[in-house]
Amino acid sequence: MNKEILRMVQSSIGRKWIVAVTGVLMIGFVVVHMTGNLQMFAGTPDKINGYAHFLKSYPLVLWSFRLGLLATAALHIWGTISLARENRMAKPVGYAVAGRKSRLQVTLTSVTMVISGSILLGFIIFHLLHFTAQMVDRSYASMEAVVGGVTMPDVYRMVVTGFSKPWISIFYVVAMALLFSHLRHGAASVWQTFGLRDRNSAQLIEMGSWILAAVLFFGFSSIPLAVLFGVLKL
Amino acid sequence: MKLHLRVWRQASRQSEGSFVTYEADGLTPNMSFLEMLDVVNDRLTKEGQEPIAFEHDCREGICGSCAMAINGEPHGPNAGATTCQVYLRSFRDGQTLTVEPWRAKAFPVIKDLVADRSAFDRIIQSGGFVSVGTGQAPDANAIPIGKGIAEKAFDAAHCIGCGACVAACRNSSAMLFVAAKVSHLGLLPQGQTERKQRVQKMVAAMDAEGFGNCSNQYACEAVCPKQISVEMIARMNRDYASAVVDQI
Repeated sequence: MNKEILRMVQSSIGRKWIVAVTGVLMIGFVVVHMTGNLQMFAGTPDKINGYAHFLKSYPLVLWSFRLGLLATAALHIWGTISLARENRMAKPVGYAVAGRKSRLQVTLTSVTMVISGSILLGFIIFHLLHFTAQMVDRSYASMEAVVGGVTMPDVYRMVVTGFSKPWISIFYVVAMALLFSHLRHGAASVWQTFGLRDRNSAQLIEMGSWILAAVLFFGFSSIPLAVLFGVLKL
Repeated sequence: MKLHLRVWRQASRQSEGSFVTYEADGLTPNMSFLEMLDVVNDRLTKEGQEPIAFEHDCREGICGSCAMAINGEPHGPNAGATTCQVYLRSFRDGQTLTVEPWRAKAFPVIKDLVADRSAFDRIIQSGGFVSVGTGQAPDANAIPIGKGIAEKAFDAAHCIGCGACVAACRNSSAMLFVAAKVSHLGLLPQGQTERKQRVQKMVAAMDAEGFGNCSNQYACEAVCPKQISVEMIARMNRDYASAVVDQI
C-alpha cells in the first residue's frame, strides 16, 4: 500500500468509510447471531445444542472468524473515537441559545452514538465472559447434553439458567434497546457514507433501518424475556 | 414594533467576547433583519458608541456575507433564506433575540458578529476550479450538456459559501460546502479531467482546516439558504472512494 492511499484512508471520509464498512460487517454478524439464537424456540434443546456444536467443530474457521470480528470491532471503535474527538475539537464554543431541535434535525439516537456504542462494548465484554468464557457462572462448563450419541455442551441449559436471574435478563434487554438506538442511526448512516442515499431513497432508508433495528431488538430480547416469563424452561 | 436583542460583542480576535443587551425600537414588520441592525447601529453611532460589526453585501440573498445565528439557528428561523432575507414579521413584537457569530474552530471570530471564513477560500484554492486555457469566451453551447446533469450541477452551484452548514453542524463539519463544490464541477464535462484529484485535495484541505466530520444528522441541509441537498455529500463520499480505488 503506498503512502497516498494510507493518507486517504486516514482522512475524514476514509475513516467514515471504515466505520461504515465495519458497521455493516457487524450488522451482518448480529443478524446471523440472532437467527441462530432463535433456535432456542425450536421446541427441543437438541436444535440449538447441535448448532452450537457445529459452529465449534472447526476450530480454525471459528478462530479466524473470531479474530476477524475482533479486528472489525477494533477498527470501528478506532474510527469512531478519532472522528468524535475531532468533532468535539471542531466546535469548542456552542451557541448560547440552542436552535429548535426539530429544525436542526437532532434525534436522540444520533447524538448518543458514542454513549450507546460504549455501553454496547461493555455489554459485549460481559456477554463473552458470560457465555463464551463462562466466567460469570462456573457451573456452565459442566453442563452437557447428548445429541445423536454425541456429548456436547448443553447451551440450552446455560441460556435458561443464565436468564433465570432477572438482573441478567434485564441487563440484556436494556443492552438490546441500546443496540436498537445505535443501529437506528448507524444502519441509515451507512447508505449516506457509501454514497447510496438520495432524496428518493431517504425515507425508505430511514424506515428500513428502523425496522432492522426493531427486528434485532425483538429477536434478541425474546429469549431472556421468554425465560423470565417461563416460556422457555428446562 | 420592538425587539430585545442580546448581541455578541467582541472587540477583536484575541479579546474575550460577551453578550450586550440592546432595545431595538421604532421598527416595522417589513424591515429586514439587517435593516433592524442598521437602526440599532445608527443610534449607537449617534450616542458615540461602537456600532455592531456584521458582514453584509448584496442584501438580496445571493452573496453569502450576512453570516449570523439568530436564536441558535444560522440565518434565523426561515428555511431557504439568508439573514438579509429574514423580515421582522418572522418574529413576535417584543421577542428576545440572541444574535451570535458562526461558532466553529475553523471560523474564528474577528469582531462582534464577523467570523473569519477564509478557511473556505483555502479549500477552494486547493482544487475547487477547472484548469482551462484562457482566451476568448467559449460559445455557450460548444459543449452540449444534458438537461439532467445541468440541473444537478446547478443545484450544487447554488452554494454561496456562507458557512451556515458549518455553523449549524454539531461537529462544525464543512462537508456540505465541500461536497457542493466537488459535485458542481464533478458533474460537468469540463470538470472531469481533474475530478479525482479535486475531491482528494479539497477533502485534505478541509481536514487541515480543523472542520469536524459529518455524523449524518443533516442540520446543514436544514439551514442551507440555498437548500443544497445532502445528496451532494453522498456523491462526494462515492467520488472519494473511487479516487482511493484509482490509487491502487
